[in-house]
This record gives sequence, structure tokens and C-alpha cells, in this order.
Amino acid sequence: MLSIISLSLFGILNLFLGFLKSRRVLLPATLLFIALAFAANLLDWNHQYVYFRDMLRTNNLFINFSSIILLTTFLTVAISRSFGTDEEHTHPAEYYAIMLFSVVGALMMVGFENLIMLFIGLEILSVSLYVLTGSDKRSLRSNEAALKYFLMGSFATGIFLFGIALVYGATGSFNLSAIGSYVSGGPTTGISPLLYVGLLFILAGMLFKVSAAPFHFWTPDVYDGAPTLFTAFMSTVVKTAGFAALYRLLTVSFTGVYGLWWQVLTGVTVLTLLVGNITAVYQSSVKRMLAYSSVSHAGYLLIAVAAKTPQSPSAILFYSLAYSIATITGFAVLILVAEQKPIEGRPDERYEAFNGLAKRNPLLAFSLAVSMVSLAGIPLTAGFWGKFFVFSTAVDRGMTNMGMVLVVAVLMSVVGVYYYFRVIIASYLKTGDSEPIGIRPLYRFILVLTTALTIGLGLFPDVVRQLF
Amino acid sequence: MNVNYIWYFLTFLTLVSAIMVVVVRNPIHSVLYLILTFFCISAHYVLLNAQFLAAVNVIVYAGAIMVLFLFVIMFLNLREYTAESKTNLVKLGAAVLGGVLLVIIVAALRSMQIEPLNKATYNSQVGMVESLGKVLFRDYLLPFELITVLFFVAMVGAVMLGKRETGERNF
Repeated sequence: MLSIISLSLFGILNLFLGFLKSRRVLLPATLLFIALAFAANLLDWNHQYVYFRDMLRTNNLFINFSSIILLTTFLTVAISRSFGTDEEHTHPAEYYAIMLFSVVGALMMVGFENLIMLFIGLEILSVSLYVLTGSDKRSLRSNEAALKYFLMGSFATGIFLFGIALVYGATGSFNLSAIGSYVSGGPTTGISPLLYVGLLFILAGMLFKVSAAPFHFWTPDVYDGAPTLFTAFMSTVVKTAGFAALYRLLTVSFTGVYGLWWQVLTGVTVLTLLVGNITAVYQSSVKRMLAYSSVSHAGYLLIAVAAKTPQSPSAILFYSLAYSIATITGFAVLILVAEQKPIEGRPDERYEAFNGLAKRNPLLAFSLAVSMVSLAGIPLTAGFWGKFFVFSTAVDRGMTNMGMVLVVAVLMSVVGVYYYFRVIIASYLKTGDSEPIGIRPLYRFILVLTTALTIGLGLFPDVVRQLF
Repeated sequence: MNVNYIWYFLTFLTLVSAIMVVVVRNPIHSVLYLILTFFCISAHYVLLNAQFLAAVNVIVYAGAIMVLFLFVIMFLNLREYTAESKTNLVKLGAAVLGGVLLVIIVAALRSMQIEPLNKATYNSQVGMVESLGKVLFRDYLLPFELITVLFFVAMVGAVMLGKRETGERNF
């Protein structure tokens, strides 16, 4: 609760900092704000609080999820440099403020106890991202992506809201536990059919937001068109918050109808895994490949939700952490490499741009290699344990239920190795330019930190597992 | 007159005008039909004893937002709606999906049981501003406050994206 309040205030403060003549103060100030919110968030550790007549619940799970969200936001803000070289016409204060506000929405999605809170959190997050997607106003691709995202996103929000209305019509309450006791307690007349339709619509809306197939069609275009920094932000924070919300909603409110949504979710999982991984193979741009890879990772995360075992939350937590860190590293390297040799004024995001990266800057090549290996799920990196914990929830649920999903997931992990290693092969084995790439100290520090975290979590997963 | 007849008449009017929104080719007529739809829905709200909601719906949707719509359409000078080039497969898919959705909702509504209203305990003031305000500022205080963040983001974003800058495409 304190983190939500403080982030809202810090966002406004950030806008006022925009009046200052010097833009230099903005980046350290924003980093400080996020660190303060992170600290405020940790104060409630081992306490259970319910705020404002059952609107928001904070417990250790909330703190874990919101810590991951704040950590990824911190890393994303740290790799942001100047939002373009044109000092006069960019608005860094506004971008940073909108990012802080969007985290408020994400935290609401993690801790909601009432469907209204979930809806408002989702809307804050989405509206912020529509704006951030279109923030590169001179680029036609960015404009197109923002408009596409806005139109499709608001349609999905409409369906989601309709679902909430139907669930309210069936149960007479927006409260998660009240809906839960209606569903599992079973009213004398039987569960109203409106609830099923409502649940279906809510699922459609949420799955759209986490870009699961068949609701993923916006993902590649939007992720490709948005400025790379905000692509990194979107593909990590939205996923973590979305899956926290989805898991919470399905387990607290709809445990009683597990048999119904389990089938829907496993179907969606298999489709997401197939579509995300197979389409990623055919991409020629690394940014689009990472977009499809984020679709496929939504599929892996869905396995843990569909399995719904007591281990699921910690599996989702570990997977989101490993995925977020690796994805941010990948995008950070992409930003630097792509802007070296622009094609027609646009950053060069093809695989060929990575040729000979190991000679141009060994650190960039190494951290990129580690992040790709982690995303592919090779042992000794965090990504391996993420996949391991997710798959073991599915095994716990039983092979009769989840066997098919597991087979597809393992096969698709192998497909994933192919397209992730294409980047590594380009940067280590192929020859390209030999012009070295320089990195600023903060950027270097962030790359070293994320790489160390990825390897550290791969060697000692229990350090974090104890907390989850 | 029996209130049921009013209901049937209103529902008929709502459905017809809603279908006309989609069917007519002139965008301005489409918006006008949409305004009619909103008025009909407001009338439904009155029948459901939600007077405040009815007033807000007329003021905000039929009033403010639809005027904005009309303004934008006249501004863009869209006279005729050009036929979009969708393949038959897409049309078929959309028709099947929409049909399935319709069947699901109709089936759910048909098998639904609505408990009859208890006339002795029913509070007739439920749709008034007073009871709404009590719920909004007591039970839903936190969402009410946090929605300001949403409006703030929308405002900042609109100003940021709408500001004209050098080197930018202006239509």
C-alpha cells in the first residue's frame, strides 16, 4: 500500500522535476524513487494487511511479485539514456512519470482483492503503455503500433469489463473471496450460467493482455514498433503483473470451477507454445524474434497457472524473475547494437547487425549470450530452473491431465534453442564490422549485474526460492 | 398502461437503432443512430430504477462523447464509407465466432433464474445520488482515489502526444 501511494506521489514529483533546466537530474531521481518504493514495499514483509474495506491485500506473495516488478522497472529505467539525441523536443520527465504510474497499475493488479481494483490497475497499466508505445512520434511504425495497440487493447478491455459485469450479475459481488465462496459453496439453485460466460470473457481479456495465442496478433507489431526500451518494459512488467493477476483471480475466486477453466487454459497453453516458438524461427529481425519469444514464454507461464498446485506461485515467481532479467539484458544489448549502423534512419535490428559482436565488445556479446542461453533454458542459468519449476508443477498435477502440454512444452524448448542460438552464433562465429562499441558506466554496470544475477540464480536457485 | 409494453417498445427501438449503427453507410447517420441507442439505454436505466445513471449516461455519452465523435467525423470529412477489403475467409471466421458467442450468451440467459423482487424490503432509493455517494465514498474509496492516476496518465499522455513538434509529420 505504501509503495502504491509513494509511487503515485513520486510520479507527480517527477513531472515537476521536468521544469528544471538540467535534464541530468531526472534519471538518478527516478532510480531513487523506484528504490524508495522498493524499500517501502519490503516494510510489510511477514505481515498480512487488508486495506480499505477489502480492496487491497498485501502479503508475502504480493511483496514478492511487486519486488520483481519494481526491480525490472529499475533495470529498464537504468538502461534508458536520453530518449533521443534531440534534447529540446523530448520529454524524459513525462516518460519517467508515466512509467512510475504504470507501475502503480501493475501493483494494483498484483494485490487486488476486488475486481474493480483489478480493472483500474489493468487500465492504468494499459493506457500508460499505449502512450509509451507511441512516444517515438517521428516514427511511423511507432504511431501505427500505438494506434493498433490502443484499438485492440480497448476492445479487449471492453470484453474483460463485460465479463466482470456478468460475474457480478451471477454472484452479486465484486469481492474475490465472496465470488469464491459463491462458486465453491454452491448456491441452492446451482451456479448461474452467467458466471461461466463471465469467466470466459474475463479470461479472454486477461489472456489478451499477457499476449497468449490466439489473442497474440497485436504482440509482434506493437513490440516491433515501440521504442526498444519500452518494448523491454512491456514484455516484462506486463507479463509479471498479468500472470500474478490471472493466478490470483483463478485460484481465489474460481477454484470451484477448476474443471472448466483448466481445459480452456491447457488449450490456450498448447496453442501459445506452438505459435510463439514456431513463428519465432522464421523472423529475420531480432526484435521481432524477441516479441514472439515473449509470446512463447507466456505459454510456459500458463502451464504453472493451469497446473494450479501449491508450488505454482513460487514457480511463476521464479520464472518471471528469470525471464524478466534475461529479457532486459537482451533488449539492452539490442538497443546498443541496433543503433550502431542505422538503415534509412531506423535502427538495424536484423540478425546480421550482431555479426562479429564478440570482437567489437566482448562484454556485450557475453551478456547477450548468457541471456539467450537463459531464455532457451540451458542448465547453469536462471532460465533452466524457471522451466524446471514450471514443468514440475505440471508433473505434480499428473500426467493424465498435463502430459500433452508437457510434451509440447519440452519439444518447443528445443525449437527455442535454435532461434536463441542464432544470435549467439552471429555474434561469436560470424565476422562483421570491427569497429568497437563503447558503453557508458551505468549501462555497463546494469549489464554486469543482470548477467551475474542470471548465472547466480542458475547456480544457487535456493537463495531466492526460500523467499518465495 | 402496463410497464411491460414500454419495455418491449424500448427494447425494440434499442435493437433497431443499434443494428442501424452498423448497417448505415454514412458515418454521420451512424453516429446519430448511436445517440438514439444511448437514449434508449438511458430509458432502460430509468425502468431499472437507476435514475442517476440514466442522467449521467445522457450527459456524458449522448452529450459530450457523441458530439466529439460528430465533430471528428465532420472534421475528417468522411462522406462515404469505403468498402473494406476483407477476404471471404476472414468474414466467415468472424461470422462463426460471433454466432458462437451469441449462442453462448443466449443459452446462458435462457437457463438463468432470476429471483423475484421482495416488495416489502426493496429500497426504492437505491438508484439515487445519495446511496450511490455512500457506496462510492465508503466502500469504493480506494478505487475512486486511484482512478485519478488513470486520468492523470491519460491527460499527460494526450498532451505529450498531441504537442506539435518540429520534424514531425503533421497531417
